[in-house]
Amino acid sequence: MAATPLLELRGIGKSFGPVQVLRDVGLSVWPGEVTALVGDNGAGKSTLVKCISGIHTPDAGTVLFDGREVSIGSPRDAAGLGIEVLYQDLALCDNLDIVQNMFLGREIRWGGVLDEATMEEMAGETLRNLSIRTVASLRQPVSRLSGGQRQTVAIAKAVLWKSRVVILDEPTAALGVAQTAQVLEVVRRLADSGLGVVLISHNMNDVFAVSDRIAALYLGRTAAQVKVTDVSHAQVVELITSGTSGRSGAPS
Amino acid sequence: MRAGPSQDDVRRNNLGGLLRYVHVNGATTRAELTTRLGLNRSTIGALTADLIGAGLVSEAAPRSAGRAGRPSLVVRPESGRVYAYALSIEVDRLRAARIGLGGRVLEQYEAERPPGMTADEAIQPLARFVATMRTGVPDGARCVGSGVAVAGMVRQSDGMVRLAPTIGWVDEPIGEALRSELGGYGRISVGNHADVCALAEHARGAAAGSDHVVYLYGDVGIGAGIIAGGRRVTGHGGYGGEVGHMVVNPYGRPCSCGSRGCWETEIGEHALLRLAGRADRTGRDEVLAVVDAAMRGDSQAQHALRQVGDWIGFGVGNLVNIFNPEVVIFGGTLRDVYLGAAAQIRSRLNAIGLPACREHVRLRTPELGTDAALIGAAELAFDHLLEDPLVS
Repeated sequence: MAATPLLELRGIGKSFGPVQVLRDVGLSVWPGEVTALVGDNGAGKSTLVKCISGIHTPDAGTVLFDGREVSIGSPRDAAGLGIEVLYQDLALCDNLDIVQNMFLGREIRWGGVLDEATMEEMAGETLRNLSIRTVASLRQPVSRLSGGQRQTVAIAKAVLWKSRVVILDEPTAALGVAQTAQVLEVVRRLADSGLGVVLISHNMNDVFAVSDRIAALYLGRTAAQVKVTDVSHAQVVELITSGTSGRSGAPS
Repeated sequence: MRAGPSQDDVRRNNLGGLLRYVHVNGATTRAELTTRLGLNRSTIGALTADLIGAGLVSEAAPRSAGRAGRPSLVVRPESGRVYAYALSIEVDRLRAARIGLGGRVLEQYEAERPPGMTADEAIQPLARFVATMRTGVPDGARCVGSGVAVAGMVRQSDGMVRLAPTIGWVDEPIGEALRSELGGYGRISVGNHADVCALAEHARGAAAGSDHVVYLYGDVGIGAGIIAGGRRVTGHGGYGGEVGHMVVNPYGRPCSCGSRGCWETEIGEHALLRLAGRADRTGRDEVLAVVDAAMRGDSQAQHALRQVGDWIGFGVGNLVNIFNPEVVIFGGTLRDVYLGAAAQIRSRLNAIGLPACREHVRLRTPELGTDAALIGAAELAFDHLLEDPLVS
């Protein structure tokens, strides 16, 4: 395991007017690991992600990337560092095919024209490396894909563009059982290929199935960040609902 | 006193090492082989030339030179020219494939295996598949042998299937029968289904790079393929890994093996379906239906999945304490059960696994899917070639 986290947040605070949404939040994301971010509705998960992705600027605290302090003032800064956030609604264009979506805005040109062959090959290789075998043709419009397949295309896009930290917001919500399994496996492979992955989920099975660490937020604070080899389902539920867990000891 | 290895031994060992590397990792530059195998450049050149001479690998300039300087030649396995036949006898189907060096599935056939099908009846369709594949083999291609995976306990020495309770076979000489049926096409090795799946996932799947692996395969029964220190743990006669018959609940239900409270009576397909109130059904689709129902909020299905998950955690915790694996892989229908009950499985594992044994264990689902049995069966055949590439 690497000696330093890929992304580390320390003492993050964020208020909207009189409402303090985040207080002294810490989070470490290690390369090769899935870190689950769990918490009740309103615990501050979305706000925290928006602070990482440059949509909000935190009022307090520091952000370290690769051990260096950085400031993420805009989504462009986050993208420049290699931080990619995949939201539930997935920013894919329905009328474009898989290759076009994966290269949207970053098309490879050869002379003045698009180099379709190279792009198709790169897209195919990225999908293969993630062991995604369920997509029949790379040239079908994404409108024809199932929810799970769309999710995997969005993940593959992040891999293709050399993202280093990928944050997934409820990637299995609204999916059937077969597709949920498929997405979970891709999430796991994403981390196994060396990226830092943050998984936001309400589903404890999803969290335990693929995570290495679990960070629990409670009322805008970090209740604990624990390794999945050290906790039980009941303890995590306790952290989410009461902010402490008798058996797992004090907050870290 | 035994003398040290002879020059021939060293060369055979190096040839095997190089061939195994490209067989497992695919096309590799000579420069990378030099670093990975710890041999000097001229040795790699000479070994490669020998393997090219034997028609086992080919060499070509890389497509694009990424860096300045003379590009290093790329060595790749001759997947189209060197192949093995892989056969798989499973509870509900028979499969056959031709698999190229490097683990590439070149062609594949499948037939149903109706319940009650005898060993003699099963040999026929498999032999027909092989005969069909033979007609399509390109000129100059070379068969290195055949590997067979059977969902049962297989005697390592001659491929006798001693007991396959889920298939319903006792003492069936499958190895012998296939040898006389397919004869003349190299050695035939027979292995246990979970064992060869473990081999495949270890070579090129979810356990690649890990030398301590427990691969669990579940359907009606539960079996394990165990790899320790990079080698298969098969036991004295080849019957090891029968984790489905670890007794976890001495007061539990009777098992098909005659004992009581075996692990598979608590976590096998029948247990899940019984707990979900669907005891009259069987099969993979029915297991998926229970996981699906649980996700949609069916409380009886949720209860069934949690209870089975808890029992899975008990067994896995014991295995983790005994073998201290880096990876535990859940194959067959256990893959779906794992993804649907991971919270219970992990919680129980954490409760009974010793901290030092469990702290680095990764729980994974297979990467090769249903191809694992065929790819792994072919590994049995390729193993002979890799041990001594220029003879055999």
